[in-house]
Amino acid sequence: MYQTLLTSRYLTSRVIPLIAVAAVALCVALVIVVVSVMTGFLDMVQSSGKTLMGDVIISNGISGIPHYEKLVNRLEKNEQVLAATPIVDGWGLLRMPYPNSNVKQSETVQVWGIEPKTFAKVTDYKNSLQWKNPTTNQRDWLLLDAIANNEETLQSLLSPELWIEFVDLIKSASHTLNFVEANFLENTKALLNEEQWNTVLSFDVRLSGEDALQQQGLDLSRNGKPGIVLGLHVNDGNVRMKNGTYQVSRNDYWWAPRFEGTLTMLPVDAKGGIIEPESIIMPFVNEFQSGVFAIDESLIFIPIDVAQSLLHMDEAKIVDLDDPATIIGVDPARSTSILIRGVPGVKGEVLREIVRTIYDDFSSSFSYETVVLPPSSHDPGLIIQTREEQQRSFTGPVEKEREVMRTLFSIVYLVVAALILSIFWSIVFEKTRDIGILRSIGASRASIVWIFLQYSAVIGIVGSFLGLFSGWLITKNINAIHDAMGNPPLSIAIVCFALSICFGTYTVVKMLKGQMLPIVLGSLGFITLGGIGGLILFIRHIGGIVVWDASVYYFSRIPNELDWGSSLFTVGGAILFCLLGALIPAAKAADTDPVKALRHE
Amino acid sequence: MSNTNSLILEGINLKKTYKLGRSQVPVLHAASLQIHQGQWTTILGSSGSGKSTLLHLLGGLDRPDQQGGEVLFNGESVWAKSNRQINAYRNNHVGFVFQFYHLLPELTVLENAILPTMIGGSFTTTSEAKNQAEHLLDQFGLSHRFTHRPRELSGGERQRVAIARALVNNPSILLADEPTGNLDEETGDGILDVLGALHQDGLTIVMVTHNMEIANRGDVIVHLRGGNITQLD
Ligand SMILES: Nc1ncnc2c1ncn2[C@@H]1O[C@H](COP(=O)(O)OP(=O)(O)OP(=O)(O)O)[C@@H](O)[C@H]1O
Ligand SMILES: [Mg+2]
Repeated sequence: MYQTLLTSRYLTSRVIPLIAVAAVALCVALVIVVVSVMTGFLDMVQSSGKTLMGDVIISNGISGIPHYEKLVNRLEKNEQVLAATPIVDGWGLLRMPYPNSNVKQSETVQVWGIEPKTFAKVTDYKNSLQWKNPTTNQRDWLLLDAIANNEETLQSLLSPELWIEFVDLIKSASHTLNFVEANFLENTKALLNEEQWNTVLSFDVRLSGEDALQQQGLDLSRNGKPGIVLGLHVNDGNVRMKNGTYQVSRNDYWWAPRFEGTLTMLPVDAKGGIIEPESIIMPFVNEFQSGVFAIDESLIFIPIDVAQSLLHMDEAKIVDLDDPATIIGVDPARSTSILIRGVPGVKGEVLREIVRTIYDDFSSSFSYETVVLPPSSHDPGLIIQTREEQQRSFTGPVEKEREVMRTLFSIVYLVVAALILSIFWSIVFEKTRDIGILRSIGASRASIVWIFLQYSAVIGIVGSFLGLFSGWLITKNINAIHDAMGNPPLSIAIVCFALSICFGTYTVVKMLKGQMLPIVLGSLGFITLGGIGGLILFIRHIGGIVVWDASVYYFSRIPNELDWGSSLFTVGGAILFCLLGALIPAAKAADTDPVKALRHE
Repeated sequence: MSNTNSLILEGINLKKTYKLGRSQVPVLHAASLQIHQGQWTTILGSSGSGKSTLLHLLGGLDRPDQQGGEVLFNGESVWAKSNRQINAYRNNHVGFVFQFYHLLPELTVLENAILPTMIGGSFTTTSEAKNQAEHLLDQFGLSHRFTHRPRELSGGERQRVAIARALVNNPSILLADEPTGNLDEETGDGILDVLGALHQDGLTIVMVTHNMEIANRGDVIVHLRGGNITQLD
């Protein structure tokens, strides 16, 4: 049909459709990237607790829940409950091994006493652990530590000559290890015979045991003694690289699993008063990463019994105040909260009600003779919440931000819609005379509208899908782009300057000929490319810019998942607005008398 | 084209007033005119007298005022027809030639000439329509210009393409609004020669001009003055 002929000619014989396609694609890509990153961010906030929290939480502040083991048993008997685990939650001061100038540095930390086995069932604890096996370098350090701690045993095994050689090797390794990989382990192995080597390996199971490092994290213990698992950002020795991986400073010297820390906690008595602080020295057995900066920066895990004893929440005997020798009862161990995980598919709200019923049964199952009763579910201190409810306080500010973002979304959508509308409006407006011609030779109104419907549909569909594709590309690589922005490659600057010089010479040549448009475009290219090149040099000079600061945005990576729902919505919306933008002026032009349309200049 | 003297197009007491804001611009008062089969009628009038307006009313491009007379084509009122029939009238029964050619810039010469047959037209096959368009363009000396764009042609050539487009559906009447108005005298004469030849072959032509000399090419000259038609001969 003639409409198709005209549509294809309009599309191919002008630059405007290309500009329109580019504009639509840009708009769509912009919206998709913005919306994907924003919703990704909100999703991360919403699900952030998921890694280290259950679906429902029972908590009773510092007074805790006595007889919690019975409660956990009852909970786990319910078939909607997958697992339940007690937590002792408190604050503490952690003395780190590294010196801040000359004093050892202390960090304020949130301490969770956990039962690692059940905790791993309720949460994603296993996957959050950072270290599975040590790297070559870390293994070298572990070996050095092991040798230093067992010097006498080793000396007794080695002949004096070998010992001297061995000491030389250790000395040179301990110097070089700080700066480069020293291959210390291989060299040592080569020096010793098999028996001696096996003795060395036996000093530290992490030297040879498969996944021993991870296992220590899962058990929260090393050599049968309790240990600490640190949030990844608690240890200042962990440095986040631009590509998102972590490196331990001084060539793994400050790797946490080499050291131990002193944890001090303040126990609180039954009336809420503070008793003498309690301290304990424990090795760091592993580190975890939840992805939420605020958590990774301050949370540490220790075994629940250690936490209970530090906070005086462990089992104690109650004595008669008048006669301390008479024991009148037992104060049972307490946990401050219990995390519960439902079987897959159970809604948080549903599970919460199930848990509430179970709790009521539990709290009313004690006879009045029991000395210490658990709080009833009506007790104001006792809270049974879903994870989302629990997090609302933590994510409160972010929720507010979400509202701001929603408003932003709609403004972005409006701007894009207005832009697309106006582009098509002017394209069709410019064709008003053609419409008059077609009408004067007998084309019907509907057939005119059809031309522009096809026209805008092609531009809309091609543009939006190009936009979808580039939006997807940008979103997927947003962290790489961000990192490149933080540290732009010099080669790009050089290419920019080279192109800029080309544009410059082109402009000068055209200037001699006196043509205006090439001069304008040429100098524009010259200035823009030169500017970009200069900007890159400047950014490199100031050492790169970091827009996404992990400490500000909670999360260590920019969300890079495409939000397919809203992306497809955007694509559909863009196509719709292309159609509308073309249809309205086309219909208007088709309705005017051909003579009036023909007068259009 | 048998009955040479039968009446095919008639304007009766045509009245047209343009509204410009609050004021009214009366252009045609009660213009009446009759076009007979095979005649070449020229409408002579000074600039602004309403010649184009009259031709637009006759060609079904613009409506007369409410109760402002009638345009009869073969005895039937044009403006009483449905939209669909008016489209068919513009497409099939009259051919319009404008002073400023009004070709579609994105289409080639051949496509411009063929366009009316694609919109409506009486051709059953595309090749038939194509033959007709090519035949007309050949006739007007444009055989080597088929694939050119209008902007690559001279004014006279463009006007000949426009005439080919007007004639491609074998209309009963050709309406020409100052077809030479934008051309130099020599080129204009060439166009008038083309029209003359078509007239020789029996085409009914209504042409508008303000030039007495050009008006003399026609068989019948009418004057448009003060919004009314006055017959001369
Ligand atoms: N759309 C319009 N709105 C208002 N006035 C109009 C309109 N079209 C035409 N006119 C006025 O009507 C009068 C007649 O216009 P028309 O174009 O028919 O004259 P014309 O005889 O063809 O003139 P020319 O020889 O210059 O082409 C003019 O005064 C013009 O200003
Ligand atoms: Mg005129």
